[in-house]
Amino acid sequence: MNMLTGYIEQTEGEIVIDGYNMLKKPKKAKKEIGYMPEGVPLYTDLTVKEFVTYMAEIKGVNRKERKEKVQKIIEKTGLKDVQKKLIKNLSRGYKQRVGMAGALVGEPKILILDEPTVGLDPKQITEIRELIKELGKTHTVILSSHILSEVSQICNKVIIINKGKIVAIDTPENLENKVSNNNCIYVTVEDTENKMENIKDKITGIKNLELVEKNEDGTKQYMIESEDGVDLRKILFTELAKENITIFEMKKADSTLEDAFMKIIEGGNK
Amino acid sequence: MFAVIKKELKTYFYSPVGYVFIGLFLIMFSIFFYIDVFQYSSTNFEYIFYSGATILTFITPILTMRSIAEERKNGTEQLLLTSPLSITKVVIGKFIAATIIVIITELCTFLYFGILCFFGKPHITTALVTLFGFLLLAISYISFGILASSITENQIIAGVVTIGFFILTWFLPQFSDIFTNFSLINMFSKFPSGQIDIADTVTYITFTILCLLLTVIVMQRRKSVR
Repeated sequence: MNMLTGYIEQTEGEIVIDGYNMLKKPKKAKKEIGYMPEGVPLYTDLTVKEFVTYMAEIKGVNRKERKEKVQKIIEKTGLKDVQKKLIKNLSRGYKQRVGMAGALVGEPKILILDEPTVGLDPKQITEIRELIKELGKTHTVILSSHILSEVSQICNKVIIINKGKIVAIDTPENLENKVSNNNCIYVTVEDTENKMENIKDKITGIKNLELVEKNEDGTKQYMIESEDGVDLRKILFTELAKENITIFEMKKADSTLEDAFMKIIEGGNK
Repeated sequence: MFAVIKKELKTYFYSPVGYVFIGLFLIMFSIFFYIDVFQYSSTNFEYIFYSGATILTFITPILTMRSIAEERKNGTEQLLLTSPLSITKVVIGKFIAATIIVIITELCTFLYFGILCFFGKPHITTALVTLFGFLLLAISYISFGILASSITENQIIAGVVTIGFFILTWFLPQFSDIFTNFSLINMFSKFPSGQIDIADTVTYITFTILCLLLTVIVMQRRKSVR
């Protein structure tokens, strides 16, 4: 990430940003990038407007258009009410927005955001996520994050890098499906007569039946694994009703990006 | 580059740093002025700048110690290095901003010149030569201060290194004559008598360029070795 933005020189390989080589034409390449570093460093002695103007200046935004563009970005990032406040007096969420505004100014084609939601409260997180989604419509946004649920919410494409090597590139859905165990169904039942164990013999297609946990209210959760390509839910519903077992809950096991991540990383380490 | 100068000047005056520097200098300058004029009954404006040079030796770090060290510590350095701005322009911008503060300070000292006009006839050309020499001394001090600031993340260390270096160059000639030509503050001594020494002028300017160049190199090196 640091190399992409030109903060550190690359050790090998080539970095080409929108057709400009980072080593040969750093000025043009850097102009296409808006970068919000991790921890959002800001000049806290300046006011919001001054900071955004300063960023516009060092990014070489035309003098005539500067004022207008700065104002536009301040409005876009929802900073209009605080634009005359010193950055050091702002809350964490606002600071994040200021960082975002700083990255946005100069109309870069690519936005690189490093951990944009770290240290925010839930409301601020959703706000920032909305903003990122909004920006994603007009910019290419590269987002690095440790919060994978966030990634699967916002991103269209995920790259997992382990020890400097790319181990997976795909959409979050595909990654999740790749590792998910679609054959598993979780059912929570009230089974007073302990008939659940017999179910396995009655319905064909059940590969495995396991008790996951006993709940305090007397219900039990089972994991039922079916043969490939068989959806057991319909049969289960009717059969269990016949056996006088009440179904409280039935759901398909869905895997998250976390599972996919763990599996891929572990696979890579072996 | 102008953006950097503007922003640096803003931070100098939004934070107390700029006022502290100018204020401290003028207070001490006033004390020396008082001693010179009332104790020694001298109406010589230039000679107070001998003391002025001494003051500068100790307060230059106020201006320079945070310039790059703080950027690195806060991570704002990343904003600068990932912007299309070149490192050279950043360094020169910071240098010029600090120099402007010194020029403002020098302009303030004209107040004392005005006071002296009441009592005697101070020589304006000599005064201007002195101020020119003082500016040369200041730019070489500032450039070294910025270099020190680029080496470390810690402002205090940058400040101490800066003062330490100045004091070292000040007293080294006492040990051996060889060092006379390296002593920044001693080179200033000819200016208050109204001479512009070409050798000294060139030394000051080359020293400044050298320090700024080294600063750029230090920052560039950090980019590739991490």
